[in-house]
Amino acid sequence: MDTLTRRKFLRLTAGSVAVGAAAPLLNIADIAEAAISRPLPSGTPILVMVTLYGGNDGLNTVIPFKDPIYYSSRPDISYKEELVLPLDAELAFNPAMKSLKVLWDQKKVAIIRGVGYPNPDRSHFSSMAKWQTASPEKHINTGWLGRWIDTQPSDSMLAISLGSVLPPLFAGGRLSGSVLPLGGLVIPQGSLGRQCQQLAKPSRTDSNLMAAAATSMRNLFSVSTEVQPILKAPAPVAADLPVVNGGNAGGDSNLSQQLDIVAKLIAAGAPTKVWSVSLGGFDTHANEANAQSALLGVVSDSIARFMSQLRSTSRSQDVTVVVYSEFGRRVVGNGSQGTDHGTSGPMFVIGDKVNGGFYGDQPSLKNLIKGDLAVTTDFRDVYATLLEKVLRSPAEQTLGRWAGRTQFMKS
Amino acid sequence: MNAGRLEISRLYHRFAFGPRPGEFTAALKAGPAQTRNALLTPPTQDIGAQSVQPPALTDLGQRPKPNTPELVNFALGMRTQREALMLWWLDLLVKSDHGLTERLVWFWHGHWATSMSKVDHPLAMYKQNQTFRTYALGDLTAMSRAMLNDGALQFWLDGQTNTKGKPNENLAREFMELFLLGVNRYTEDDVKALSKSLTGYQLNSSTGEVRFNEKRHDFAPVALLGTTRHFSGEEASDYLVARSDCQKFIAERVWYRFISSTETMPNNFSAVSAYSSRNMLSAVTAAASDPEMQKVKNQMAKAPLEWFIAVCRALELTPSQLKRPAQISSHLNKLGQIPFNPPNVGGWPAGEAWLSSASAQYRIEFATWLAKQSSLRALNEIPVEKRVAQSADWLGVAQWSPRTQAALRSSVNNPIEFTVLALTSPEYVVSA
Repeated sequence: MDTLTRRKFLRLTAGSVAVGAAAPLLNIADIAEAAISRPLPSGTPILVMVTLYGGNDGLNTVIPFKDPIYYSSRPDISYKEELVLPLDAELAFNPAMKSLKVLWDQKKVAIIRGVGYPNPDRSHFSSMAKWQTASPEKHINTGWLGRWIDTQPSDSMLAISLGSVLPPLFAGGRLSGSVLPLGGLVIPQGSLGRQCQQLAKPSRTDSNLMAAAATSMRNLFSVSTEVQPILKAPAPVAADLPVVNGGNAGGDSNLSQQLDIVAKLIAAGAPTKVWSVSLGGFDTHANEANAQSALLGVVSDSIARFMSQLRSTSRSQDVTVVVYSEFGRRVVGNGSQGTDHGTSGPMFVIGDKVNGGFYGDQPSLKNLIKGDLAVTTDFRDVYATLLEKVLRSPAEQTLGRWAGRTQFMKS
Repeated sequence: MNAGRLEISRLYHRFAFGPRPGEFTAALKAGPAQTRNALLTPPTQDIGAQSVQPPALTDLGQRPKPNTPELVNFALGMRTQREALMLWWLDLLVKSDHGLTERLVWFWHGHWATSMSKVDHPLAMYKQNQTFRTYALGDLTAMSRAMLNDGALQFWLDGQTNTKGKPNENLAREFMELFLLGVNRYTEDDVKALSKSLTGYQLNSSTGEVRFNEKRHDFAPVALLGTTRHFSGEEASDYLVARSDCQKFIAERVWYRFISSTETMPNNFSAVSAYSSRNMLSAVTAAASDPEMQKVKNQMAKAPLEWFIAVCRALELTPSQLKRPAQISSHLNKLGQIPFNPPNVGGWPAGEAWLSSASAQYRIEFATWLAKQSSLRALNEIPVEKRVAQSADWLGVAQWSPRTQAALRSSVNNPIEFTVLALTSPEYVVSA
């Protein structure tokens, strides 16, 4: 799934799930104002969800580098033992994940292995919808965090997704998260620009949908004046932060831009408890090694930088980052130096309050299920733990009765 | 607002793909009743549609192994044929003299939503599209049977893997949830039962041909929605179509796509009873004649494809004749809607989903690209001092707001800018 597909997934699923609840579109000024007038009380936990679109190859992310089956299954795309970054005697990070390895060594990274759901679906859309709705059996219209938003007092700043479209993750039945569009907007200039601003004015004769159309045009211009300069400003890395080596060649990725904005707004005291950012391009059916390691480098470096930025604020203890993708990939390479859609994959939970280490069983490469990895941890175990231990909310309102938990948070 | 104008505008933008230059003015003279009759009566022959040549599609066969020389020709063939397929339908949507038929093809495409992203083969998608055309305004019993024998749909929902003893519920679930009954009008046991009834279909994915292999079919009786017996796939399809839930469900979809995506369908919506015949022309005729058509609250956002086709008709553009027509896909992709590529089996959303700020920007970009390629004949024929008022008739807009009139007035001497503003105005983006 390329980035356009990701955007399409978001736009379309957003429309189909957020029934009647159009996502409020925020701008930086709104959030900055809220940060000043009603900042998030210090010590309030903050959850940052990082979605990797396309199906990240878990086996080349957390690599079973001692397992001969790993090498024999995918000779073209396996990583040699001397290149990987060992985490213990059996598993290692992809060579591109040096920055995240530093956090692992500080015991700030929980790796939950073999995460998925029963009867894995190999469609990007369906599987991502299952991950985001936490409803593998039945297609539903609300995301698991959207249902959590439903349990909270109505506040458009409570949950913010970066990008122009609301992910189903944040669609509730009654309320929904907000979107903060970033980057890539080319704003009409000159006479056309002036007249478009005229077109964007509210009119007494507007129906609801026409008013929405006018508002969308109006926001286009407010985004241009308020968000673009912030995007162009250099990232605020404090001088006393450790320098993280490696990886970040080629300049800022969109993920690091998104996380820069989140870091700034968290530092400013935005009354936001849940954030959503994303990166696409993980659908590596062909020529996987270079593409995936570049992306993993971006994920690793962006998150490490984000955590560093937070260390100059009073919030660094409060933030927990979660990384997931809609499925892992086939164990056996597909003959075009890539892998096809698979099943389970590792999730990462990162933060000062995280009890670093491995959780869940590593799926066996010997006992595959129709050529795919077994699911050893249900994502609802992880979500329930995040709800209770990070958001301090009962899990049942959001997930129904679900017994499983994974104790990756310090309690 | 003038009620007749509103109704005629809705008829053109919802039951067709917008007026060509001059059509709206003529319709205003004829009045709503006559306009409705004209739009709802299929012509004996459609000269515009006949002017569009069918796409040159061939059976490209199965995908060759990676790293073989054959793969290059295969991939090139796929690309060429996909583009040909897309441009063929876009041209047909623009050129057809009877907008209603293509409007229904478009409706059914979003209903039995099948994506080339998985089906891969344009030939299979073309055959499905032709099936939609055959039954566009026709009988659902026959259509549903035809869809069961549609290779693209079967492949999309893994029907060929659904065999006796190894059921795959994908197709059966969607037959009930999304195609014929609507969610919660069946149980999980019914899904399991129907999946057994739908076993045994095999297909050739590159041609979209389907055959029934009785060795793979489960002949055991099943309990399906209160009846226990063996059902063949087609018998099960007939049985579902005959249920009153099916009648209500299709009427609900007509309401959602033609009348309002935000208001709830009233129980007395006349398409419900009209659809007791399972004839789509009856349902759509009832919908277009229903008093709800005149209620101001029943507004619809134009989906990106609907907007694009209406613009081509007003600007007298033929998609395949545009400069670098491959860019059409890129524009439609940014707006989130490419024909033959619905996001999932649920089809495309409606309403505010299409009205984000990003869409506003992409729509301006797309409108500018299109306006620059048109002679803008209809606009240029209007005297400058009458352009603001008469452009509403050109585009079939019920009424410009004072805000939009002000923007248009500043651009009367710049036809391209005037056109871009008109096409991206809230009054054009939304069917009032």
